Amino acid sequence: MDDLKFRRSMLADPNNRDDAINAAIKSDSAKQKFSQELDTLENKIAQAMHITVPDDLANKLILRQTFASHQQQKRKTRVRLSMAASVALVMGLTVNFMMFSSTYKNLGDYAIAHVNYEASHFSNNDQPTVTLASLNEKMAAFKGSFDSTFGSLIFADYCRFDGSKSLHLVFQGQSSPVNIFILPDDEDIKFIANFANDKLQGRSLNFNHSNIIVVGDKQEPIKQWQERVSKHITWSI
Amino acid sequence: MATKQVRYEALVKALHADLYRYGYWLCHDKHIAEDLVQETFLRAWRALDSLKDEKAAKSWLITILRRENARRFERKRFDMSEYEEASIADIKATSSEQEIENYWLREKIAKMPEEYREPLVLQVIGGFSGEEIAGILSLNKNTVMTRLFRARNQLKEAVDDEPKLRGLHNG
Repeated sequence: MDDLKFRRSMLADPNNRDDAINAAIKSDSAKQKFSQELDTLENKIAQAMHITVPDDLANKLILRQTFASHQQQKRKTRVRLSMAASVALVMGLTVNFMMFSSTYKNLGDYAIAHVNYEASHFSNNDQPTVTLASLNEKMAAFKGSFDSTFGSLIFADYCRFDGSKSLHLVFQGQSSPVNIFILPDDEDIKFIANFANDKLQGRSLNFNHSNIIVVGDKQEPIKQWQERVSKHITWSI
Repeated sequence: MATKQVRYEALVKALHADLYRYGYWLCHDKHIAEDLVQETFLRAWRALDSLKDEKAAKSWLITILRRENARRFERKRFDMSEYEEASIADIKATSSEQEIENYWLREKIAKMPEEYREPLVLQVIGGFSGEEIAGILSLNKNTVMTRLFRARNQLKEAVDDEPKLRGLHNG
């Protein structure tokens, strides 16, 4: 091993001596001296570099981290809380929307569904049992009244009409009962003047603050019914 | 949470001294070195989960500290070109020969070009091998070995040229 290479590797990394270097040190007294000098130098360098570390540095570091993570924790809690609140709000809105929003596209769809659902309760042969007085009593809720009966009224009562309170009247028709709904004008559900399905047909009429919907089977003169209703009804406002 | 805390505290206790010394040799200022170490450990805490291999912890922390030190220069241009002697004054002004020599050598180390000093500090204080230093400094291993050789050679020559100190030491 030549002297330059020996010096280079010793100076670059004095503590990492391979066999060749150890052999060189053993065989050459000058190299041995150099190695000893270098050991001394290495000790000196190590001592010089070992600056005194502040005693409390470790504690400071731990303390600072504890504060930092406490702050972070607090922030996290706040974020979590606000997230929970947002989720609750969205869920509330969704439930609200699902529960109270209109399920049917328009008045006609709902009216037909309603009639179909209750069709079994009414027969065209039922005796007229409702007097004009009791009808007008119920009509008062809609700020309206009839001046006389028109046709045989077999049923009159409040119904839920897609979430809003309505008055459901059932008259004897030609072959099947005719249904008339009086309901407050509701912006949520779309007004439709004429509607029909394969058996039933219907017409709606919009007054100031109420809709009147007539539904009957295909043979029924719905238009006449509608005219009769509008002729006899008077609105108090 | 508790285990992270335990890991962190172990890390602090085991490595803060080496990190502080390394930081000191980067910036030559005890206070800045302390700030650097604090910043480093705060960052380390936030990223502690990404440290998978505990053996790599030291070089990981040193890399963070180097980055913090570099950031210091991005933020603010300190006038670091002129080296102030006062800042390396030994706080323990004992007059023992050892202390005088330490002081003298410290000055030499501080005056050494940074590219030589940094690998030497990593080797002596960090105990890293040539490959590891090359990895930390993103250098070629041969470059690192050459710089280490030159660094030590400079110090050796300085020591050899100081007859008084030599006399003190050898006599």
